[in-house]
Amino acid sequence: MQTRFLALLLVLPALIMIVLFFILPLFASILGAFEVGDSFGLGNFSKSFDLYSKDMIFTVVIVSISTVLIGLLSIAIGGYLTLGENPRSVAILRWLYRWPMFIPFIVVGQVLRTFLAKNGLMNNILVSLGILTPLQTTGFLDWRGIVIAFVWKQTPFVTLLVAGAMASLDRSTIEAARNLGASRLRILIEIVVPQISGTLLVGLILSFVTMMSVLSVPLMINAQSPTMLTADIAFRINAHGDYGVANALGVISLLLTAGVALIYLRQTMKDRL
Amino acid sequence: MRPFLSVEKMSVGYGTTTVLDKLDLGIRKGEFVALLGSSGCGKTTLLRTIAGFTKPFSGSIRVADRDVTQMPPDKRGMALVFQSYALWPHMTVAQNIGYGLKLQRQSRENIDARVNEMQNLLGLAGLGDRKPGQLSGGQRQRVALGRALAIDPEILLLDEPLSNLDARIRLTVRHEIRSLQKRLGITAIHVTHDREEAMVMADRIIIMNTGRIEQEGSPEDVYNKPASPFVAAFMGAENLLSMQARVQGEQVELMEGSFNPSIVTALAGRTLATGPIELRFRAEAARLARSEDKTVLQPGTLELRGQVTSVSYPGGHWRHAIRLGENEILVDADTPFNQGEAVRVCIPAKSLFIFNVVEGLAEARAL
Repeated sequence: MQTRFLALLLVLPALIMIVLFFILPLFASILGAFEVGDSFGLGNFSKSFDLYSKDMIFTVVIVSISTVLIGLLSIAIGGYLTLGENPRSVAILRWLYRWPMFIPFIVVGQVLRTFLAKNGLMNNILVSLGILTPLQTTGFLDWRGIVIAFVWKQTPFVTLLVAGAMASLDRSTIEAARNLGASRLRILIEIVVPQISGTLLVGLILSFVTMMSVLSVPLMINAQSPTMLTADIAFRINAHGDYGVANALGVISLLLTAGVALIYLRQTMKDRL
Repeated sequence: MRPFLSVEKMSVGYGTTTVLDKLDLGIRKGEFVALLGSSGCGKTTLLRTIAGFTKPFSGSIRVADRDVTQMPPDKRGMALVFQSYALWPHMTVAQNIGYGLKLQRQSRENIDARVNEMQNLLGLAGLGDRKPGQLSGGQRQRVALGRALAIDPEILLLDEPLSNLDARIRLTVRHEIRSLQKRLGITAIHVTHDREEAMVMADRIIIMNTGRIEQEGSPEDVYNKPASPFVAAFMGAENLLSMQARVQGEQVELMEGSFNPSIVTALAGRTLATGPIELRFRAEAARLARSEDKTVLQPGTLELRGQVTSVSYPGGHWRHAIRLGENEILVDADTPFNQGEAVRVCIPAKSLFIFNVVEGLAEARAL
């Protein structure tokens, strides 16, 4: 009996932390989403859909495009690290690819803002190289800028997971394919990627959820309409003090991420079996 | 006649370490050759270099007068069966076996027909839709074999393909692989550290030690006429005694020692010089007799006098540890002797492997 009490006592601090700082605020904001004036209703949601349905689609499309691009790039980089035959370029790539992971989102937004603007560094270089004339330049500070920022920042993280999984594959499964005459590209697509698909999926889902919650990048790069839901939530609270709609928007993005989180849970359960 | 597969003056290594130094090897068409040696002797490196996964520093590899030294693995007409089988877990049995044909852009019908043929040949019929994870060890091994054979290679390379199997299955798979190889008439190189496996399967055994070929020959040859102490020890002659020998013409005299009277026997093809020798024999080659047993021995039979220190029954015969001063030897007998009993150990001349003591003995002893 005493040991049971002791065990409970040991768990208690962690339990209090979770209830106090995670579950309670979450329920409060979910509840807040249904509060209209003094009664409960769906008013906040209908207002959210009226005002921000475009932004919801914008958010989902941007995060989905970014996720797909991150997946392709991390497979390409991880594949080269695993199958590359030039030891020096493999070593250089291995050293280089992780750097963006250590740069905060806000700095990524700021760096890319100066790089991608209509008269930013990228266009200046293209003009000075004679590839574009100043009149042909366009800024990338719209949905494209956000996608570039997300991909730039999240690819190293997924690559880290993917390359690790590839490195721990049984090398002889790769050699067996080479023995039968498979090219490196085919080995990557038909032999390597199918064997690490679980890890890739988990990495992409974690990235998806991260990108859904980033505020700084849409604020820095694309503050006009349509923008991402995170920017809308911040705007509702900061400009209008409208916690009801902000909470409703929060619940909506929660439902979006819950969809992919479900895939994540099913995958981890499958791995454990 | 030139051998079908020949390796000439080949040196291989990793970084600055040389594993194989100027190695020569020739294998005839249709021959089953076993590369036998303990781990780290270079046998797997040799196989991987022949397969094309490791580039040699120098030397050449030729198949039927075609120089394949610089060719990629798939252009050499060889297929490798890996120790871990290296089956692709996400593909079915049929997809695994048919992958090589798919890479050759063969038609769907051709692939299906060949995969069926392989499955029937290897007793995998009806398992085509299973994933490797749903198969037993022996079945996986056969899928790996089927995948290698499906592309109809000229040379089959086997890298310890039986080492992951249960002991009982291993015995049957040995014979399966051997009879399959005979039926297909394919040239095969089999890497193993299991002496019995090499003996049962191969036409010719190549015994390797520290990157060199110690001896090559038929199973009977390497078993009965080991050319070096290492080969003798590796082929089961684990009992080791040190003596002095005197060579006179075609005769060699083993000098009297603390435990044995001197004997004279014919050299019988052994190359020996007068001086210290090491003598090896197998536990089953010696005969045990009670010390009061006065049976007259055949001339040339070495007689040792010792004391039984322990008796065990590994099956079929009794194994005795016999103490001779500092040394202990193992001797088999059909009936058990008592612990502590004084005995005579009689070893016929033809079962004695005698070598002059040379440098490098330490290595052989380490076994």
